[in-house]
Amino acid sequence: MTLLLLQTFLPRVAHPSVIAVGIAYFAVIIAISVWASRRTKTAGDFFVAGRGIGLIALTVASVSTSVSGFAFIGGPGLMYTVGLGALFIVLPASVTNVMGAWVLAKRMRLLAEARGLMTVPDAIGARYRSPAAQGLSGVAILVGIVGYMATNALAMGVVIDAIFGVGIGWGIWLGMGITLAYSAAGGILAGIYNDVFQGTLMAFASVLVFIFVLKAGGGLAGISQAILETDPKFLAPWGKLSPLAALSFFFVFAMGALGQPHGVHKYYMLRDPMQLKWYPLLKTLGLILVLLLYFGVGIGVKAFTSNGLMPPLKAPDQATPTLLLSVTPVFLAALVFSGVAAATMSAVNSFINIGAAVVTHDIPVAIGKKVRNELAWGRAATACIAVLAALIAQYSGTLVAFLGIFGWGLFASTLVPALAIGLNWQGATRAGAIASIACGLTITLSLEIAAYMKVFTFPSGVTASAISLVLSILVFFLVSHLTHGKASDRIDEDVRVIMEM
Amino acid sequence: MTAASPSAASPSTSLDDRSGAGNRTKRFARFALIGSSVAIAVAYGSAFQEGGAPGWAPWLLALGIPTALVAVMIMGAVREKTGLKRLAIPFAFVGILLAVVFCLALALPPNESAQSRLFLGLPLRAALVVYGVGLLPTLILPIVYALTFETQTLTTEDVLKVRELGAAYAKRHDGRRSEE
Repeated sequence: MTLLLLQTFLPRVAHPSVIAVGIAYFAVIIAISVWASRRTKTAGDFFVAGRGIGLIALTVASVSTSVSGFAFIGGPGLMYTVGLGALFIVLPASVTNVMGAWVLAKRMRLLAEARGLMTVPDAIGARYRSPAAQGLSGVAILVGIVGYMATNALAMGVVIDAIFGVGIGWGIWLGMGITLAYSAAGGILAGIYNDVFQGTLMAFASVLVFIFVLKAGGGLAGISQAILETDPKFLAPWGKLSPLAALSFFFVFAMGALGQPHGVHKYYMLRDPMQLKWYPLLKTLGLILVLLLYFGVGIGVKAFTSNGLMPPLKAPDQATPTLLLSVTPVFLAALVFSGVAAATMSAVNSFINIGAAVVTHDIPVAIGKKVRNELAWGRAATACIAVLAALIAQYSGTLVAFLGIFGWGLFASTLVPALAIGLNWQGATRAGAIASIACGLTITLSLEIAAYMKVFTFPSGVTASAISLVLSILVFFLVSHLTHGKASDRIDEDVRVIMEM
Repeated sequence: MTAASPSAASPSTSLDDRSGAGNRTKRFARFALIGSSVAIAVAYGSAFQEGGAPGWAPWLLALGIPTALVAVMIMGAVREKTGLKRLAIPFAFVGILLAVVFCLALALPPNESAQSRLFLGLPLRAALVVYGVGLLPTLILPIVYALTFETQTLTTEDVLKVRELGAAYAKRHDGRRSEE
């Protein structure tokens, strides 16, 4: 999703107020990280915050991790380009949080209670009693993370360059260095509390921007009227996309949300499982607040360029910065730019932590090895992954954009069947889980690579993510049906009880 | 932390082999999920034919996606012994709401223009999608989840039972490790 942030460089906004807010923001991040690093003493602290996070902190952190820089820059730019069709990426937020709560949250949190699980592949391993399924899902997550991380590293570089004018290369290493410092020192605990700060900042900035846009445009009716007079198709329900394309977005981002490791991993961390009661409501409300900017800027820029309040954009990604500098106070623009940096750093931190857990925990489990000091190796893996992602971001050219494309779809197609459906259907088998993970991994990679190499073009409205997701679901059911009843697919008693609750 | 252990397997007890309201509902939801996934796959497959996706393909998605989402929610929400209970109505409502909004967006004439009447600031079809899909389910499902949490989702007794099972599992696991 960060791809759209990379199509062009953001305009320089190195205004003294923007720089001051940026420096203050980084100072807060460092202070939180120092505090968190003193509280991180075990691998459990490092990977799941010792299962001691309260409801509000976890909710805000989860909102912050969910959106990434795309919601602030790429999303509004996409909406400016294709109209309301771009909303189909974020509309699923109305159901995905509560869907995740019913389908995964309770069972994953209870599995953590019973088994002390730390990673998403842990849950797959426990469900199917299969180190192979655990390891394969870990590999799939790692492949997706490399892409996401590299893309977000580049996005950080672009944003930091826009704020401080240091150049994209230095921006990448500055952003990654700060994120690495707090990820390695304080693990997910630092990540969570930095996310709380960052999420609060994002929600606050988003609401303010939305209010300013409505004020400048004469309300939503005034904005719509300005658009309808010049480009009515923008406000068609699918915008300028085909219905198939818009509905595909909805399918991939709704069903696929159940397979995003940075989202579902958070279920392990809640201090008291009974607090799950309010989690979906609070998270949905938080997401709506943060996504107001996506909708407000996307529709506002279109209206303001239609009625002459703003000049036409040179590139879609300039929608947010151009609008901020045109209709909002500089201080608010500074907050939003810090919010974008916050969003990308938040996503990177979460992915670094999950990737480190795969390397030091899930893959060793799959090959029957036990890492002795998971905390120390977790910190080392964190540093390696961060440096690798920064190097890819800096030196891989257009490949980095390609890597960023398939992260969401890869997670969805490899984890939704085995994890989300498998934890709710006792008839699912180990073979079905392994087949669906392999299917998702293979189809996503082969279709995306074929499209990247230009040996294949998708028909209008069809994406590799959508095809691989639906096929991996069907393969999961088919193989589970064919291998149903094998003794080796029996479920441990504690897992079975949790599945029946 | 040990996830994949070959210990303490219970007899293979598939839901298919059991009776009870929850199991029947889960089976129904599973078939709905499979059926809707097939419909979605057919819609995508049809787009590969010459000339692109036929006119009926988006309709398959408009009906298949809400069915798939509600089906997977039902699979997650059903407790084995009690079924859906009070959740049936909100699930049905949201599934129908999403399907109706998508179908209306497809069926209503594309007549957005400067003369269009606005509903809450947007032309009719856009308002249906933004408020009907993006906002209305937010006001229903998370609130229903919270209101039915103790009766339908999780009780303190559940948590205590899981802790006991976890302690027993740890004891067995530690015992086996010390034997090794």
